[in-house]
Amino acid sequence: MSAMLLNKEKWPEFVKKLTGKNLWAPKLDGEAMRFAPVAEGEEVSLDYGNTRVPPKGATFPQTETMYRFLVGNMEIEEPKMDEELVLLGVRPCDARAMKIIEKLFRWDYDDPYYLKRRELVTLVGLACTEPGLNCFCSSVGGAPDSSEGLDLLIYDLGDRFLLEAVTVKGETLIAETKELLTDSDASAVKAKDKLMADAGAKIRRTVDHDGIPEGLPGLWEDPLWKSVSASCIGCGTCTYLCPTCHCFDIQDEVEGFEGRRCRMWDSCMFEEYTLHTSGHNTRPTRRERTRNRINHKYNYFVDKFDVIACVGCGRCINLCPVNIDIVEILRRVKEAL
Amino acid sequence: MTADNPYIPYFATIEDNWYETGGDRCIKTFKVVFDDPAVRDSWSHKPGQCAMIGVLGEGESMISISCSPTEGKFLRFSVMKMGKVTQALHKLETGDKITVRGPYGNSFPVDDWQGKKILTIGGGIGQAPLRPIVEYVKANREKYAGLTMIYGARSSGDLCFKGEFDEMSKCDDLSCHLTIDIEEEDWSHNVGFVPQMLLDLNPAPENTVAVTCGPPIMIRFVLENLKKLGFSDEQIYTTLENRMKCGIGKCGRCNAGGMYVCKDGPVFSYAVLKDIPEAFA
Amino acid sequence: MDLEQLRKTAAEVVARDDVKYLIGWKKGSYGYRVAPVFVEDAAGVAELIFSPLCTANLTTYLTLVEKTPLPRGQEADKRKVALMVKGCDSRAVVQLLVEKGIHREEVIVIGCPCPGVVDQSLLVEKYGDTEEPVEVKWNGDGFMLVRGGEEIKIPRDEVLAEKCRLCRYPNPVISDHLIGAEVEKWSPAEDSGVSELDAKDVDGRWEYWEEQFNKCIRCYSCRNVCPLCYCQDCILDRLNPTWINRAVNFSENTAFNISRAFHLAGRCIECGECERVCPANIPLGKINRKMAREVREKYGFEPGLDPEAEPFQASFKPDDPEDFIL
Repeated sequence: MSAMLLNKEKWPEFVKKLTGKNLWAPKLDGEAMRFAPVAEGEEVSLDYGNTRVPPKGATFPQTETMYRFLVGNMEIEEPKMDEELVLLGVRPCDARAMKIIEKLFRWDYDDPYYLKRRELVTLVGLACTEPGLNCFCSSVGGAPDSSEGLDLLIYDLGDRFLLEAVTVKGETLIAETKELLTDSDASAVKAKDKLMADAGAKIRRTVDHDGIPEGLPGLWEDPLWKSVSASCIGCGTCTYLCPTCHCFDIQDEVEGFEGRRCRMWDSCMFEEYTLHTSGHNTRPTRRERTRNRINHKYNYFVDKFDVIACVGCGRCINLCPVNIDIVEILRRVKEAL
Repeated sequence: MTADNPYIPYFATIEDNWYETGGDRCIKTFKVVFDDPAVRDSWSHKPGQCAMIGVLGEGESMISISCSPTEGKFLRFSVMKMGKVTQALHKLETGDKITVRGPYGNSFPVDDWQGKKILTIGGGIGQAPLRPIVEYVKANREKYAGLTMIYGARSSGDLCFKGEFDEMSKCDDLSCHLTIDIEEEDWSHNVGFVPQMLLDLNPAPENTVAVTCGPPIMIRFVLENLKKLGFSDEQIYTTLENRMKCGIGKCGRCNAGGMYVCKDGPVFSYAVLKDIPEAFA
Repeated sequence: MDLEQLRKTAAEVVARDDVKYLIGWKKGSYGYRVAPVFVEDAAGVAELIFSPLCTANLTTYLTLVEKTPLPRGQEADKRKVALMVKGCDSRAVVQLLVEKGIHREEVIVIGCPCPGVVDQSLLVEKYGDTEEPVEVKWNGDGFMLVRGGEEIKIPRDEVLAEKCRLCRYPNPVISDHLIGAEVEKWSPAEDSGVSELDAKDVDGRWEYWEEQFNKCIRCYSCRNVCPLCYCQDCILDRLNPTWINRAVNFSENTAFNISRAFHLAGRCIECGECERVCPANIPLGKINRKMAREVREKYGFEPGLDPEAEPFQASFKPDDPEDFIL
């Protein structure tokens, strides 16, 4: 795979080239960054931590129309999905998350919506140089420069960017912009290595998950679950902002005669999630729901797909209204083993 | 269910429908036939499997297929009127169409059970997933060493499939034991709870598999009593139900511990089940 | 703030046989974070704090308790819950009493007169976030940030939470134990956020809220954190009939947010929790304060002050000037 250099003076031009495609990049929306479409000529700054909402919606939209129908008419129309999308500035943790949940969406039954969107999206990553306060990617198999799931990875070397193609899609992007690029050299590689070693050293929070996946079943009735969930208000912040959370609901929605069957993000932290129509709830309190969230990420998913379904992006910690802190929960799990 | 999109349902037409029970939470059985002859021919399911059935504009629900494939090229679903989708289903009549996708989940290992005696223990609507076993064994009697069916409900009016029990009592290798919770006039069968009836019948565990389905509290006592009778964990099977949306192990909500009920289940042997946290939650 | 008095009172309260636990604040897992804590015994009171970082309104936990079916023969735990409240929080307690969401004998209110709390996002913006444990204290007219042995004086207006600038009730309006002396009220600032919106025309307001509601991800943290959003069967969760579709789009998001605002009219006690917890940064306070202002100005009613008051939206007077209701 090729590695090329892009002088920062040429960055606006590089972005402009990409806006020829359907380009999304992080933009400031009030106080928070979020991925939004970039118009031609619009500036894109890569000087940001991470987006508030992860870019998982690019492959797993919050609401996805599965098919349309007219009420009373037994015909089903599948939506066309053919628009390519380029996401610029994806953090390695978020790209890794897309790759991780792809395993689930490929498990026995291929999920056509997720896989089609995955095929249509090109992920241009941005290696982290200033990890956030609650980042712990390196504890769970990631790294500030992990290329997993990405098509192209950009390193910010100060006065220039180093672009490394990871996949054929990445190579194509490089080929399409090659008049703006120059060949990489040893000094760039050296600078990159130094930058990434520094970035890794700046990660402050760590999780020692050794023994946790195997140990969680034994802690099923441990008092820690009640204690860590006592203050939970049962909202969906942790799960909706989680790049690996992938649970969904399916509902029929009808306006006039036009109906659609669609799926939307759902959260295992909601009381209604497991509520049977009879009124019976298999996870009746936030204790069981919190236990499920941690078990799903650190035990069930590991069992089925051999990888922890948490990429250490820290969003659930940053934004939990009541400071429920997954690093802290895992520390207590470890302690209880 | 097209080759590349498992979420797209087939259409099926209701060929017949009737009420099994009355009341607010009445149970209606639908006999449906796929509209597409190719689907009709290629469809195959095993006792214990489920299907996602629905009404366009209302939604889908996971319902166990309550007929055995040996009965013919149709499907039967017995649906209790509960929420949005089942209420919509109950409004449908013969000639109306539903959506069907599936079959989903594992099944009762009826092939492995050949040569054995089968004991089914059902309660209320819990007989619906057991009925395919009964019908399967009836159609393959030479392969099994007999079938004993215990079935109970709150009252005689709450028993499903009532018309199908008489013929069973005419065969030596089939026996049918009905029970209701409270005494009724003109009731010639047992009165009492299902777990107690199981103890009273005292079936021998040798060369037998026991399969149970019903309300959670009934299952719990049936399991206890089967153990008392000497059944090993491997001889006991049950089928679970949880809230489901996708049916294919993606949407995440039906898990009991690390098991997706829709894919890893719904059928579990007690040997497996007893180690799954949340299985009896 | 008299921490010693707080912990002594708390210890006495949790030692009582008729008390289940005390809900208070403790230092969070890092930096400026503060977390709610459920103290069940005297050993736990050492964790309790009261500082300008104690923004959360703990009253929500009174109605968040999930009641699972009791095993046969087991009786419900009817012991009291003790609760630390600031002035604004205490109004939620009163409003819950008015609505009979809770009963007086079920709660012990530990009132904490409050000179105003900080807006953590302003603190982070101006002084940077940190994973090190830090302390923020009240200091004269302002605040003091203690970080790594260094003491940084912060002027009050620089980081004061918006709800506190507008606050009319810094002292608890109900309490069984008052910690420290009441604070002197300050004159509330003009609610410029609401006034600016009021000054826009209908299209301008619609445009503003369209942009805001488009950001909503329907995590329902606003609803769940709200001490007065406690319907057992919320219309949002209802499917049969479906009042609000689960699809996330402007239309449904608006239906959700406006329904909530209407349901809170004459009930919202302006604790600002909805806005604080919103991960999408929707200025929900503006909607709810607008409704509160309307009710205050048009009906002369303020919720959460008098436990004996009639609930605003659920009372009828025979001399009501509107005759449509009959």
